[in-house]
Amino acid sequence: MTVIAPAIIRPDDWNVALFIHILGAMVVVGSLVLATAYLVGAWRGGSPGSLRLGFRSLLYGAIPGYIVMRIGAEWIYSKEGIADLPEEPDWSGIGYAVADIGLLLLLIATITSGVVARRTAATGRGDDRPGGIGVRVSAALVGIVLVVYVIALWAMTTKPA
Amino acid sequence: MYDLLLFLHVLAAFALVATVVMYTGFALGARWAGLPATLAEVMWAIGGAGTLIFGVWLALYVDGYEIWDGWIIAALVLWAASAETGRRSAVAIGAQPGGDGTVDERAMARWHALRALLVLALLLVMVFKPGA
Repeated sequence: MTVIAPAIIRPDDWNVALFIHILGAMVVVGSLVLATAYLVGAWRGGSPGSLRLGFRSLLYGAIPGYIVMRIGAEWIYSKEGIADLPEEPDWSGIGYAVADIGLLLLLIATITSGVVARRTAATGRGDDRPGGIGVRVSAALVGIVLVVYVIALWAMTTKPA
Repeated sequence: MYDLLLFLHVLAAFALVATVVMYTGFALGARWAGLPATLAEVMWAIGGAGTLIFGVWLALYVDGYEIWDGWIIAALVLWAASAETGRRSAVAIGAQPGGDGTVDERAMARWHALRALLVLALLLVMVFKPGA
């Protein structure tokens, strides 16, 4: 059986929007992996430095990457004319749902880790210490966001239904 | 089969770029040690192998692509160049054997910047497929 790749029949004027969308998504995922590694390190080792780096990975990497990814998504969405279809494809719905849920979790994780990092810098002890509940919540949320983004990646590449 | 190959190829590409993002963090002063360091090396290995294996598999499987297409050869050359600059970057920071044992953060940042540009060019070739 022969397969003709959609990329072959994709119009060229979609490429810039697609490139921006993919680049933003890759930066988000890379930043989330880095943040997860530092936050898990802060959780297990109680290092304030790891906590601060985890927070910065989210603030300076994941959130800007998300904005770029979302701009690219809206651009390619309009170029493909999906809004004009009688029914939105499942893969598009999955992408939007994951992006919205992911943003909410990402913001909660960033704010939580930022607050704990700031309090740790001020006091260095108490429930706000690295390894406390705030760091565990942030690490868990970032891990969940990573998993749902892999699901979104599957939906975007395989385009079910 | 095509969907699975494409998903694995793109997933590997995400792992590759994740390493570039992580190394950018290290180059900007983030601490290189422990879990982040290990994860960066593992993801570079998985991403590198995955993009190459599933990419070549796709080129052979898909009707309309040939392994000797100009954009695919360009991608293979960029992949090899990014692999070598990534290796030099890792050697400079002591993550791989081959250096003199000292950590040279400036050399790491220099090789990493080159690797990041090459990976960006690779992504451009993959999306735009010039000549396809």
